[in-house]
Amino acid sequence: MLEQLKEIIVNYVEVEAESITMESRFVEDLGFTSFDFMNMLGEIEDTFDIEVDPQKAGNIRTVQEAVDYFTSIQE
Amino acid sequence: MKMYSTIKDIIVASEEVYGTEDAIRYKVGKDQIESKTYTELKQDSESFSRVLEQFGVVGKHIALTGPTSYTWLVTYFGIVNSGSVAIPLDVLLPTEDLCELVERSDAEVLVLDDVRADVAAIVRERCPKLKYVISMQKEKNDTEVLSFSQLLNENRGSFDVEINPEALCTIMFTSGTTGKSKGVMLTQRNLAENATCLDMKIESGNVVLSVLPIHHAYCLSMDILKGLSLGSVVCINDSIHRMAKNIKLFKPTMILMVPLMIETFAKKLEDIIGIPPEYVKKEVFGEQLHTICSGGAYMNPEYIDLFAKYGIQILQGYGMTECSPVISTSLSWNIKKGTVGQLLPNCEAKVVDEELWVRGSSVMLGYYKMPEETKEALQDGWLKTGDLGYVDEDGFVYLTGRKKNLIITRNGENVSPEEIENKLSEARLVQEILVREKEGLIEAEIFPDYEYAKLQGIMDIRASLQELIDQYNIGAQSFKKVYSLLVRDTEFPKNTTRKIKRY
Repeated sequence: MLEQLKEIIVNYVEVEAESITMESRFVEDLGFTSFDFMNMLGEIEDTFDIEVDPQKAGNIRTVQEAVDYFTSIQE
Repeated sequence: MKMYSTIKDIIVASEEVYGTEDAIRYKVGKDQIESKTYTELKQDSESFSRVLEQFGVVGKHIALTGPTSYTWLVTYFGIVNSGSVAIPLDVLLPTEDLCELVERSDAEVLVLDDVRADVAAIVRERCPKLKYVISMQKEKNDTEVLSFSQLLNENRGSFDVEINPEALCTIMFTSGTTGKSKGVMLTQRNLAENATCLDMKIESGNVVLSVLPIHHAYCLSMDILKGLSLGSVVCINDSIHRMAKNIKLFKPTMILMVPLMIETFAKKLEDIIGIPPEYVKKEVFGEQLHTICSGGAYMNPEYIDLFAKYGIQILQGYGMTECSPVISTSLSWNIKKGTVGQLLPNCEAKVVDEELWVRGSSVMLGYYKMPEETKEALQDGWLKTGDLGYVDEDGFVYLTGRKKNLIITRNGENVSPEEIENKLSEARLVQEILVREKEGLIEAEIFPDYEYAKLQGIMDIRASLQELIDQYNIGAQSFKKVYSLLVRDTEFPKNTTRKIKRY
């Protein structure tokens, strides 16, 4: 999941995939705006074939939280 | 096309002409669409008016909050077509702020989507004036929260009352320069004429995808009221992150957007090289999409040419909630480069000290319970827009800048810098602060209290300030988040009254 997520993240912000860690925060560390983040959710739904709840996704702050949430709805 | 002066007239006239045709389409489940006809929309909203009558709250203030949904629309029309006042509130507001606005707007009923169950749990306690809380999804009434569907089914029937065009019908909250949001009071005539005074020569059956937040005047007036007055099919986009997917699903011919959305599509289009434009257009927007209307914030005019290559016309407009909201718009056959379009037929303009003032049937009554702010904004029926600009002899509007401090982000949200400055200044480490817009996002420049930092043994001042901002960002609405930080070594330059010079 993390590797695929990294590949998606680099399409939205100017960061190297290697510098993304589980602790990275989307807004503060990776430079996401909330709009970038919403757009990325669309691609994540397609890639992992899941339906994301926008309210819950709005509470995601770190890569770890994202992986946990997406994994939980994939099961 | 005819001009209407009340919202009820729009709904009644459209139902007469388009009765069995689809008015609203929305998703149920992943790729399944459900629809409601013009007749169903009118009947359901009349039944909701009967609910309000049964509660004895006709003519009173009714708040509603939730993402755009058929139930939201039925609630809204049920309220305003009964002669009551609707208070649409931003579904993304923090709990405390939502309760504060329910209280401040004197609402006696709150209708809410279950995504805000947090508010349902505490709002009765916080807002003593509130008599009823209704859930849009709940199936059965309980002691605390009533069920929208149960109430509707128990009160089925028609409802008809004379509506005064001059009566207050909607209060919309917008960011104020003092940091406290202001309730813009709009009448039936304000909204109905704004939506119907201009003939855009749009055929009935036009498919609109509504992607903007429903508590914004631009969405309510142009997507919903104008759409329904023309016999359009209004499709509801369930989430902004599914916009691209929903374009393929609903196949709209027209979409209203804010510049940030247009920019996102533009970036994608610019990355595509070597593929024929017709093919790209079909894949991204579908063959049928021909028009995008832009409003809410400044848009880079280069996008107009970029989208034209793909056979999509961008019509730029200009407005503000205080003017219900549209002041001017471009039309497909009437575009002047460098302008934000021509004044609507119900609007006149003049320039006072470089500031644009407008007057006409869409100018608000004033701000709810804020006589001082109202006096500042309105003068002899003229609305001071706070925008610098001018109007040419053909009525085309040119904008050159903003007079007020208010920040308008790329998604059209208004942010008061003072509100954020006040919050962050609560920290002892922040001695002086200035919040401003940078490339459509919010930047804070801080002069820290170096003396205090020394006393506290704070070594990395920048990191401590960033931590403060991170903390603030957690609780802030997405468009109010601070994205960058500048740390000053010296005090800000001040004017004679010791206020920080903003520009």
